[in-house]
Amino acid sequence: MDFGLFAQHTMNGLMLGMMYALVAVGFTLFFGVLDVIKFSHGDVLTVGAFTALATFVGLKSMGVASTTVELLAMLIAAIGAMAVLGAVIAKAFVLPLRAAPALNTLLITLMLGTVLREAVRLFYPDGANPKPFPRLLPAESVSIGNFNLRLDNTIMLAAGVLVIVGLQLMLNRTKLGLAIRAVAQDEETAKTMGVNFSAIVLITFAIGSALAAFAGLMNGLYYNEINFGIGLYLGVVGFSAAIIGGLGSIYGAILGGFMFAALQTIGAVALPFASAYKDVFAFAVVIVLMAWRPTGLIPEKLSERV
Amino acid sequence: MNTNEPNALVVEKISTAYDKANVLENVSLTAAPGKITCLLGSNGSGKTTLIRSILGLTPPNKGVIRFRGLDLRGLPTHRVIAAGIACIPEGRRVFAKFSVEENLRMGAYQETSDAEVRERLVRVYTAFPRLSERRTQLAGTLSGGEQAMVSIGRGLMRAPKLLLVDEPSLGLAPILVQENFNIIRRIREQGITIFLVEQNVHQTLAISDYGYVLSKGRVVAEGKPADLSKTKEVHEAYFG
Ligand SMILES: Nc1ncnc2c1ncn2[C@@H]1O[C@H](COP(=O)(O)OP(=O)(O)O)[C@@H](O)[C@H]1O
Ligand SMILES: [Mg+2]
Repeated sequence: MDFGLFAQHTMNGLMLGMMYALVAVGFTLFFGVLDVIKFSHGDVLTVGAFTALATFVGLKSMGVASTTVELLAMLIAAIGAMAVLGAVIAKAFVLPLRAAPALNTLLITLMLGTVLREAVRLFYPDGANPKPFPRLLPAESVSIGNFNLRLDNTIMLAAGVLVIVGLQLMLNRTKLGLAIRAVAQDEETAKTMGVNFSAIVLITFAIGSALAAFAGLMNGLYYNEINFGIGLYLGVVGFSAAIIGGLGSIYGAILGGFMFAALQTIGAVALPFASAYKDVFAFAVVIVLMAWRPTGLIPEKLSERV
Repeated sequence: MNTNEPNALVVEKISTAYDKANVLENVSLTAAPGKITCLLGSNGSGKTTLIRSILGLTPPNKGVIRFRGLDLRGLPTHRVIAAGIACIPEGRRVFAKFSVEENLRMGAYQETSDAEVRERLVRVYTAFPRLSERRTQLAGTLSGGEQAMVSIGRGLMRAPKLLLVDEPSLGLAPILVQENFNIIRRIREQGITIFLVEQNVHQTLAISDYGYVLSKGRVVAEGKPADLSKTKEVHEAYFG
């Protein structure tokens, strides 16, 4: 393979990996503080992407023309609204189910995800069809040999890195992060130290959902199209990534996300048959990995949980 | 004991259950301010359940719990702690993946002043120089005795008015057990009210001002240490 094509695939893999990692980190955070799997996570991403699109349409109809203003407004609206939605879901459906078997939470959030997805399909104008998503980042590109490095992709990757670094700093350097990690380690002792457990759970769900909204916006800007099913797919991939990384480890989730993207890219490029099989290949490898390492690639005792 | 003392911890006729059956039945006791009040009882008599009831971790289904005039029953745990209470839990429960210093900072979680937290850290490190040497070490890698220091230091970081201590001597070597009791005595000298739950009769009574005996979830005896050590209930609760 020549350099240009290789670089192109690498860039594409990094973009996918960043989105997967952002979704996977949410699963890991939720599991960390509450030991639950929240299956509506992917559909929150969809709602976030559509919130961004609706904001764009609204601003256009009001005559706003500055792409910077549009982009900022979309970012704030999607992240803010999904943070609230995440906290509401935690408050209304996840916390009340604490005494019930974990399977019930899984089932309820699975149904909730379907409700969110169907709501987008039925109530967003013409929501059943793919919607064009505006191209708002600068479209210039730099040619390196026969590889076109696009500025918009570079900006998105850099923003994703900043978000992940910011999350790490929050978790490791702030009092809120200390409380989240304490709850993840030992809920009762954290309470005994005076941590407001319910508040920490709500904040954690808000943060995880905001990350999903960010990934949803990234998805729209990258493909310039969104549909009501993107979150279902990204949810399954993000969940697999979190599991490969050893559910409960932030580093593991990030690693898992990029690994899944790498597998897909390898599947698309290196396999003799068409790239349509890339998902089959990636998921097959995940299944084999899980059979080989049932607790994930990063064992719990090495990874600092959350 | 005088239950009208306004700054006391007062537990009145509480019953607590995990599932259906009550583990505590009609338990009443008082921890007087500035004193060490102990609760003796054999394994499984319900001592930890009483502490969990006070903390709101396993709320009682009836009765009253008051501290400094505030009704604690039904409050979430962080609000109980906000009333000026700290707990050194059974089995120490240090955060294994936190450094010694992070553990201590967790103890002062509700303190908003950074300067105050730093001051308390200095005080704890002065009391436990060993912790100062290991401040960046992960608590999970410490010895049992060192973890006990972290757990006690973490409780002191709260600068509590009332300290609940659940079996501090459990699983420690005898020399450390004695050291632990000395530490508790010194904490009382700072004017902190102590409610100490123990199985270790003699050493506990030696430092206590007043004591209760719990057997099968009921208070079966109470009194001054000197009187209590002679009663048949104490002997029955342990050997009967
Ligand atoms: N989490 C729990 N769920 C159900 N029963 C419990 C639980 N913890 C303690 N018990 C029961 O409550 C009783 C009192 O236990 P505990 O308060 O731990 O006693 P102690 O601290 O005096 O050893 C025991 O019979 C014990 O089996
Ligand atoms: Mg106990």
